[in-house]
Amino acid sequence: MCDVCGCGHHHDSKSPSTSHDHPPFAKGGQGGIIGETRIIDVNESLLKSNESAAISNRAHFDEKGIFSVNIISSPGSGKTTLLEKTIEALKNDINIGVLEGDIETDLDAERIRKKGIPAVQLTTGGACHLESSLVHKGFHELEHQLNGKKLDILFIENVGNLVCPSFFNLGEHIRVVLVSVPEGPDKPLKYPKAFKTSHVFIITKSDLVPYFDFDIEKVKKDALSINPFLNIFVISAKTGEGLKEWFDFIKKQKHD
Amino acid sequence: MHEVSIAMGMIDELTRIARENNARKVITVKLKIGKMSGIVIDSLQFAFDAAKLEYPLLNSTAIFIEEVPLIYECNNCKNTFKTDDIYFPSCPGCKSYNLKILSGEELHIENLEVEV
Repeated sequence: MCDVCGCGHHHDSKSPSTSHDHPPFAKGGQGGIIGETRIIDVNESLLKSNESAAISNRAHFDEKGIFSVNIISSPGSGKTTLLEKTIEALKNDINIGVLEGDIETDLDAERIRKKGIPAVQLTTGGACHLESSLVHKGFHELEHQLNGKKLDILFIENVGNLVCPSFFNLGEHIRVVLVSVPEGPDKPLKYPKAFKTSHVFIITKSDLVPYFDFDIEKVKKDALSINPFLNIFVISAKTGEGLKEWFDFIKKQKHD
Repeated sequence: MHEVSIAMGMIDELTRIARENNARKVITVKLKIGKMSGIVIDSLQFAFDAAKLEYPLLNSTAIFIEEVPLIYECNNCKNTFKTDDIYFPSCPGCKSYNLKILSGEELHIENLEVEV
Protein backbone atom coordinates (compact mmCIF):
# COMPACT_ATOMS: atom_id res chain seq x y z
CA MET A 1 0.00 0.00 0.00
CA CYS A 2 1.21 3.47 -0.89
CA ASP A 3 2.00 5.22 2.37
CA VAL A 4 1.65 8.67 0.80
CA CYS A 5 -2.04 8.41 0.05
CA GLY A 6 -3.06 4.84 0.91
CA CYS A 7 -4.06 4.12 -2.69
CA GLY A 8 -2.77 0.57 -3.11
CA HIS A 9 -0.26 1.60 -5.79
CA HIS A 10 3.44 1.53 -5.38
CA HIS A 11 5.21 4.87 -5.66
CA ASP A 12 8.46 5.06 -7.56
CA SER A 13 10.42 7.31 -5.27
CA LYS A 14 12.17 9.01 -8.21
CA SER A 15 9.06 9.80 -10.20
CA PRO A 16 6.02 9.47 -7.97
CA SER A 17 3.70 11.03 -10.53
CA THR A 18 4.34 8.43 -13.26
CA SER A 19 3.44 5.45 -11.12
CA HIS A 20 0.35 7.23 -9.77
CA ASP A 21 -2.26 6.55 -12.39
CA HIS A 22 -5.41 7.32 -10.44
CA PRO A 23 -7.03 10.75 -10.20
CA PRO A 24 -7.13 12.22 -6.69
CA PHE A 25 -10.25 11.46 -4.64
CA ALA A 26 -11.55 8.84 -7.10
CA LYS A 27 -12.93 5.52 -5.88
CA GLY A 28 -10.19 3.46 -4.36
CA GLY A 29 -8.05 6.58 -4.39
CA GLN A 30 -7.07 8.96 -1.61
CA GLY A 31 -7.86 7.53 1.79
CA GLY A 32 -9.05 4.28 0.24
CA ILE A 33 -12.61 5.33 -0.59
CA ILE A 34 -14.80 2.33 -1.33
CA GLY A 35 -18.38 3.59 -0.95
CA GLU A 36 -20.38 6.39 -2.58
CA THR A 37 -19.39 9.95 -1.82
CA ARG A 38 -21.62 12.93 -1.31
CA ILE A 39 -21.40 16.57 -0.32
CA ILE A 40 -23.12 17.78 2.85
CA ASP A 41 -23.76 21.51 3.03
CA VAL A 42 -23.14 22.75 6.54
CA ASN A 43 -22.62 26.49 6.60
CA GLU A 44 -22.16 26.85 10.33
CA SER A 45 -19.64 28.54 12.57
CA LEU A 46 -16.43 26.76 13.50
CA LEU A 47 -17.09 27.97 17.03
CA LYS A 48 -20.50 26.35 17.18
CA SER A 49 -19.80 23.95 20.05
CA ASN A 50 -18.53 26.82 22.23
CA GLU A 51 -21.42 29.04 21.14
CA SER A 52 -24.10 26.49 22.09
CA ALA A 53 -22.61 26.09 25.57
CA ALA A 54 -22.40 29.90 25.86
CA ILE A 55 -26.09 30.25 25.02
CA SER A 56 -26.99 27.76 27.72
CA ASN A 57 -24.73 29.56 30.24
CA ARG A 58 -26.47 32.85 29.45
CA ALA A 59 -29.92 31.27 29.86
CA HIS A 60 -28.81 29.92 33.22
CA PHE A 61 -27.50 33.33 34.39
CA ASP A 62 -30.69 35.05 33.24
CA GLU A 63 -32.91 32.53 34.95
CA LYS A 64 -31.07 33.15 38.24
CA GLY A 65 -31.05 36.93 37.76
CA ILE A 66 -27.26 37.08 37.67
CA PHE A 67 -25.37 39.74 35.74
CA SER A 68 -22.16 38.20 34.37
CA VAL A 69 -18.93 39.99 33.51
CA ASN A 70 -16.04 38.44 31.55
CA ILE A 71 -12.78 40.23 32.31
CA ILE A 72 -9.93 39.93 29.80
CA SER A 73 -6.44 41.44 29.61
CA SER A 74 -2.77 40.58 29.27
CA PRO A 75 -1.13 38.95 32.31
CA GLY A 76 -0.43 41.55 34.99
CA SER A 77 -2.84 44.30 33.92
CA GLY A 78 -4.59 44.13 37.27
CA LYS A 79 -7.67 41.95 36.77
CA THR A 80 -7.47 40.31 40.19
CA THR A 81 -6.59 43.58 41.93
CA LEU A 82 -9.58 45.27 40.30
CA LEU A 83 -11.77 42.42 41.57
CA GLU A 84 -10.35 42.71 45.08
CA LYS A 85 -11.08 46.46 45.16
CA THR A 86 -14.55 45.93 43.71
CA ILE A 87 -15.36 43.25 46.28
CA GLU A 88 -14.09 45.41 49.19
CA ALA A 89 -16.27 48.29 48.05
CA LEU A 90 -19.43 46.45 47.09
CA LYS A 91 -19.67 43.23 49.06
CA ASN A 92 -22.11 44.67 51.59
CA ASP A 93 -24.46 45.92 48.86
CA ILE A 94 -24.39 43.13 46.32
CA ASN A 95 -23.71 39.41 46.30
CA ILE A 96 -20.64 38.70 44.22
CA GLY A 97 -19.25 35.39 42.98
CA VAL A 98 -16.04 34.84 41.05
CA LEU A 99 -14.75 32.28 38.58
CA GLU A 100 -10.98 32.56 38.27
CA GLY A 101 -9.37 31.35 35.06
CA ASP A 102 -5.70 30.46 34.99
CA ILE A 103 -3.46 27.97 33.29
CA GLU A 104 -2.27 26.63 36.63
CA THR A 105 -2.59 27.20 40.42
CA ASP A 106 -5.32 28.21 42.82
CA LEU A 107 -3.56 31.46 43.79
CA ASP A 108 -6.12 33.92 42.40
CA ALA A 109 -9.18 32.11 43.77
CA GLU A 110 -7.42 32.11 47.14
CA ARG A 111 -6.93 35.90 46.92
CA ILE A 112 -10.64 36.34 46.25
CA ARG A 113 -11.75 33.93 49.00
CA LYS A 114 -9.67 35.95 51.47
CA LYS A 115 -12.11 38.80 50.78
CA GLY A 116 -14.94 36.55 51.97
CA ILE A 117 -16.39 35.90 48.52
CA PRO A 118 -17.16 32.48 46.98
CA ALA A 119 -14.66 31.72 44.23
CA VAL A 120 -13.92 28.74 42.03
CA GLN A 121 -10.61 28.32 40.29
CA LEU A 122 -10.79 27.12 36.69
CA THR A 123 -7.43 25.76 35.59
CA THR A 124 -7.20 25.20 31.86
CA GLY A 125 -4.06 23.05 32.11
CA GLY A 126 -2.35 24.85 29.25
CA ALA A 127 -5.13 26.46 27.22
CA CYS A 128 -4.72 30.22 26.97
CA HIS A 129 -8.42 31.14 27.35
CA LEU A 130 -11.62 29.98 29.02
CA GLU A 131 -14.31 28.15 27.08
CA SER A 132 -17.99 28.10 27.88
CA SER A 133 -18.12 24.42 28.86
CA LEU A 134 -15.50 25.02 31.58
CA VAL A 135 -17.43 28.07 32.81
CA HIS A 136 -20.56 25.90 32.95
CA LYS A 137 -18.79 23.37 35.16
CA GLY A 138 -17.24 26.08 37.34
CA PHE A 139 -20.57 27.82 37.80
CA HIS A 140 -22.19 24.63 39.13
CA GLU A 141 -19.34 24.27 41.60
CA LEU A 142 -19.85 27.88 42.65
CA GLU A 143 -23.59 27.26 43.15
CA HIS A 144 -22.65 24.36 45.37
CA GLN A 145 -20.46 26.69 47.49
CA LEU A 146 -23.27 29.26 47.63
CA ASN A 147 -25.62 26.70 49.16
CA GLY A 148 -28.78 28.44 47.98
CA LYS A 149 -27.57 32.01 48.48
CA LYS A 150 -28.48 34.26 45.55
CA LEU A 151 -25.83 35.94 43.41
CA ASP A 152 -26.21 39.40 41.84
CA ILE A 153 -22.97 39.65 39.90
CA LEU A 154 -20.71 36.92 38.59
CA PHE A 155 -17.20 37.98 37.61
CA ILE A 156 -15.36 35.60 35.31
CA GLU A 157 -11.66 36.44 35.26
CA ASN A 158 -10.23 35.04 32.05
CA VAL A 159 -6.72 33.69 31.51
CA GLY A 160 -4.22 36.53 31.03
CA ASN A 161 -4.09 36.89 27.26
CA LEU A 162 -5.33 39.63 24.94
CA VAL A 163 -5.76 37.41 21.87
CA CYS A 164 -7.53 34.09 22.37
CA PRO A 165 -10.20 34.98 24.98
CA SER A 166 -11.77 37.40 22.51
CA PHE A 167 -12.84 34.45 20.32
CA PHE A 168 -14.75 32.58 23.00
CA ASN A 169 -18.12 33.84 24.12
CA LEU A 170 -18.73 32.48 27.63
CA GLY A 171 -22.35 33.58 27.77
CA GLU A 172 -21.41 36.76 29.64
CA HIS A 173 -23.59 39.89 29.63
CA ILE A 174 -20.63 42.21 29.22
CA ARG A 175 -16.97 41.81 28.39
CA VAL A 176 -14.47 44.12 30.05
CA VAL A 177 -10.98 44.61 28.62
CA LEU A 178 -8.14 46.03 30.73
CA VAL A 179 -4.89 47.65 29.62
CA SER A 180 -2.41 48.90 32.21
CA VAL A 181 -0.30 52.00 31.58
CA PRO A 182 3.05 50.11 31.62
CA GLU A 183 1.88 47.83 28.80
CA GLY A 184 2.04 50.73 26.41
CA PRO A 185 -0.44 52.75 24.40
CA ASP A 186 -0.51 50.55 21.29
CA LYS A 187 -2.65 47.72 22.70
CA PRO A 188 -6.02 48.70 21.19
CA LEU A 189 -4.49 48.91 17.72
CA LYS A 190 -2.48 45.72 18.06
CA TYR A 191 -5.31 43.62 19.51
CA PRO A 192 -8.41 45.05 17.84
CA LYS A 193 -10.60 42.00 18.34
CA ALA A 194 -10.39 42.25 22.13
CA PHE A 195 -11.69 45.82 21.89
CA LYS A 196 -14.21 45.15 19.16
CA THR A 197 -15.90 42.43 21.20
CA SER A 198 -15.84 44.26 24.56
CA HIS A 199 -18.37 46.62 26.13
CA VAL A 200 -16.09 48.25 28.67
CA PHE A 201 -12.46 49.33 28.43
CA ILE A 202 -10.56 50.07 31.65
CA ILE A 203 -7.16 51.73 31.64
CA THR A 204 -5.47 50.60 34.89
CA LYS A 205 -2.47 51.83 36.91
CA SER A 206 -3.20 55.43 35.88
CA ASP A 207 -0.93 56.62 38.73
CA LEU A 208 2.00 55.54 36.52
CA VAL A 209 1.16 57.90 33.65
CA PRO A 210 3.91 60.38 34.64
CA TYR A 211 6.54 57.68 34.16
CA PHE A 212 5.45 56.29 30.79
CA ASP A 213 4.74 57.64 27.32
CA PHE A 214 1.07 56.83 27.57
CA ASP A 215 -1.26 59.44 26.12
CA ILE A 216 -4.61 58.53 27.67
CA GLU A 217 -6.67 60.62 25.26
CA LYS A 218 -4.96 59.06 22.24
CA VAL A 219 -5.47 55.52 23.61
CA LYS A 220 -9.16 56.27 24.23
CA LYS A 221 -9.49 57.62 20.70
CA ASP A 222 -7.80 54.54 19.19
CA ALA A 223 -10.06 52.21 21.18
CA LEU A 224 -13.19 54.14 20.17
CA SER A 225 -12.19 54.04 16.52
CA ILE A 226 -12.24 50.24 16.75
CA ASN A 227 -15.43 50.15 18.82
CA PRO A 228 -17.38 53.42 19.21
CA PHE A 229 -19.68 51.86 21.84
CA LEU A 230 -16.96 51.21 24.44
CA ASN A 231 -17.61 52.55 27.91
CA ILE A 232 -14.19 53.74 29.13
CA PHE A 233 -12.88 54.05 32.70
CA VAL A 234 -9.44 55.25 33.81
CA ILE A 235 -8.51 53.86 37.22
CA SER A 236 -5.74 53.40 39.73
CA ALA A 237 -6.15 50.78 42.45
CA LYS A 238 -3.24 52.48 44.22
CA THR A 239 -4.63 56.04 44.45
CA GLY A 240 -8.32 55.15 44.02
CA GLU A 241 -8.68 57.34 40.92
CA GLY A 242 -11.73 56.43 38.84
CA LEU A 243 -12.77 53.52 41.06
CA LYS A 244 -15.98 55.18 42.21
CA GLU A 245 -17.24 55.52 38.63
CA TRP A 246 -16.52 51.82 38.02
CA PHE A 247 -18.24 50.78 41.27
CA ASP A 248 -21.31 52.86 40.36
CA PHE A 249 -21.40 51.27 36.94
CA ILE A 250 -21.33 47.76 38.45
CA LYS A 251 -23.93 48.64 41.11
CA LYS A 252 -26.29 49.84 38.40
CA GLN A 253 -26.06 46.49 36.59
CA LYS A 254 -27.62 44.73 39.55
CA HIS A 255 -31.00 46.28 38.86
CA ASP A 256 -30.91 45.86 35.08
CA MET B 1 -3.03 29.39 19.90
CA HIS B 2 -6.81 29.48 20.00
CA GLU B 3 -6.54 27.59 16.70
CA VAL B 4 -6.08 24.33 18.65
CA SER B 5 -9.36 24.84 20.51
CA ILE B 6 -11.06 25.80 17.29
CA ALA B 7 -9.70 22.67 15.57
CA MET B 8 -10.96 20.52 18.48
CA GLY B 9 -14.41 22.13 18.26
CA MET B 10 -14.36 21.51 14.52
CA ILE B 11 -13.53 17.84 15.10
CA ASP B 12 -16.55 17.52 17.42
CA GLU B 13 -18.82 19.13 14.84
CA LEU B 14 -17.49 17.06 11.93
CA THR B 15 -17.88 13.85 13.94
CA ARG B 16 -21.46 14.77 14.82
CA ILE B 17 -22.38 15.65 11.23
CA ALA B 18 -20.68 12.55 9.84
CA ARG B 19 -22.54 10.29 12.29
CA GLU B 20 -25.88 11.95 11.60
CA ASN B 21 -25.35 11.24 7.91
CA ASN B 22 -24.14 7.67 8.48
CA ALA B 23 -20.85 8.56 6.82
CA ARG B 24 -18.02 6.06 6.88
CA LYS B 25 -15.44 8.79 6.66
CA VAL B 26 -15.03 12.44 5.91
CA ILE B 27 -12.96 12.96 2.76
CA THR B 28 -12.75 16.73 2.53
CA VAL B 29 -13.92 19.75 4.50
CA LYS B 30 -14.27 23.20 3.00
CA LEU B 31 -13.84 26.14 5.35
CA LYS B 32 -14.37 29.84 4.84
CA ILE B 33 -12.05 31.99 6.93
CA GLY B 34 -12.38 35.76 6.77
CA LYS B 35 -9.35 37.98 6.53
CA MET B 36 -10.43 39.67 9.76
CA SER B 37 -11.43 36.50 11.61
CA GLY B 38 -8.16 36.53 13.59
CA ILE B 39 -7.34 32.95 12.62
CA VAL B 40 -3.86 31.97 11.50
CA ILE B 41 -4.74 29.55 8.71
CA ASP B 42 -1.45 27.62 8.92
CA SER B 43 -1.92 27.09 12.66
CA LEU B 44 -5.48 25.83 12.18
CA GLN B 45 -4.32 23.45 9.45
CA PHE B 46 -1.46 22.21 11.63
CA ALA B 47 -3.68 21.70 14.69
CA PHE B 48 -6.35 19.88 12.70
CA ASP B 49 -3.85 17.59 10.96
CA ALA B 50 -2.22 16.70 14.28
CA ALA B 51 -5.48 16.08 16.13
CA LYS B 52 -7.45 14.26 13.40
CA LEU B 53 -5.25 11.14 13.56
CA GLU B 54 -7.02 9.98 16.70
CA TYR B 55 -10.45 10.04 15.06
CA PRO B 56 -11.17 7.16 12.66
CA LEU B 57 -13.86 9.13 10.77
CA LEU B 58 -11.46 12.01 10.18
CA ASN B 59 -7.96 10.58 10.07
CA SER B 60 -7.64 11.04 6.30
CA THR B 61 -9.71 14.22 6.00
CA ALA B 62 -8.19 17.01 3.94
CA ILE B 63 -9.23 20.58 4.68
CA PHE B 64 -9.56 23.24 2.02
CA ILE B 65 -9.63 26.82 3.19
CA GLU B 66 -11.02 29.72 1.26
CA GLU B 67 -9.83 33.05 2.60
CA VAL B 68 -12.64 35.58 2.37
CA PRO B 69 -11.61 39.18 1.57
CA LEU B 70 -12.57 42.10 3.76
CA ILE B 71 -15.37 44.00 2.01
CA TYR B 72 -17.12 47.05 3.39
CA GLU B 73 -20.19 49.00 2.38
CA CYS B 74 -20.16 52.73 3.07
CA ASN B 75 -23.26 53.74 5.04
CA ASN B 76 -22.88 57.26 3.68
CA CYS B 77 -22.59 56.83 -0.12
CA LYS B 78 -23.41 53.08 -0.43
CA ASN B 79 -20.14 52.40 -2.23
CA THR B 80 -18.77 48.87 -1.63
CA PHE B 81 -15.02 48.30 -1.56
CA LYS B 82 -12.37 45.72 -0.71
CA THR B 83 -9.52 46.63 1.63
CA ASP B 84 -6.64 45.10 3.58
CA ASP B 85 -6.88 47.79 6.25
CA ILE B 86 -8.40 46.13 9.31
CA TYR B 87 -8.03 49.13 11.60
CA PHE B 88 -9.19 52.39 10.15
CA PRO B 89 -10.63 51.84 6.72
CA SER B 90 -12.41 54.78 5.20
CA CYS B 91 -14.54 54.88 2.06
CA PRO B 92 -12.30 55.53 -0.96
CA GLY B 93 -15.18 57.49 -2.53
CA CYS B 94 -16.42 59.89 0.17
CA LYS B 95 -13.80 59.27 2.95
CA SER B 96 -16.50 58.37 5.50
CA TYR B 97 -15.62 56.05 8.41
CA ASN B 98 -19.25 55.05 8.81
CA LEU B 99 -18.93 51.58 7.29
CA LYS B 100 -20.63 48.23 7.48
CA ILE B 101 -18.71 44.95 7.07
CA LEU B 102 -20.10 42.80 4.27
CA SER B 103 -17.52 40.02 4.47
CA GLY B 104 -14.20 39.16 6.10
CA GLU B 105 -15.25 37.97 9.55
CA GLU B 106 -16.24 34.45 8.45
CA LEU B 107 -15.23 31.43 10.47
CA HIS B 108 -17.38 28.79 8.82
CA ILE B 109 -17.57 25.19 7.79
CA GLU B 110 -19.09 25.43 4.33
CA ASN B 111 -19.46 21.78 3.39
CA LEU B 112 -17.98 18.34 3.69
CA GLU B 113 -17.54 15.51 1.27
CA VAL B 114 -18.19 12.19 2.93
CA GLU B 115 -18.09 8.56 1.99
CA VAL B 116 -21.35 6.83 2.81
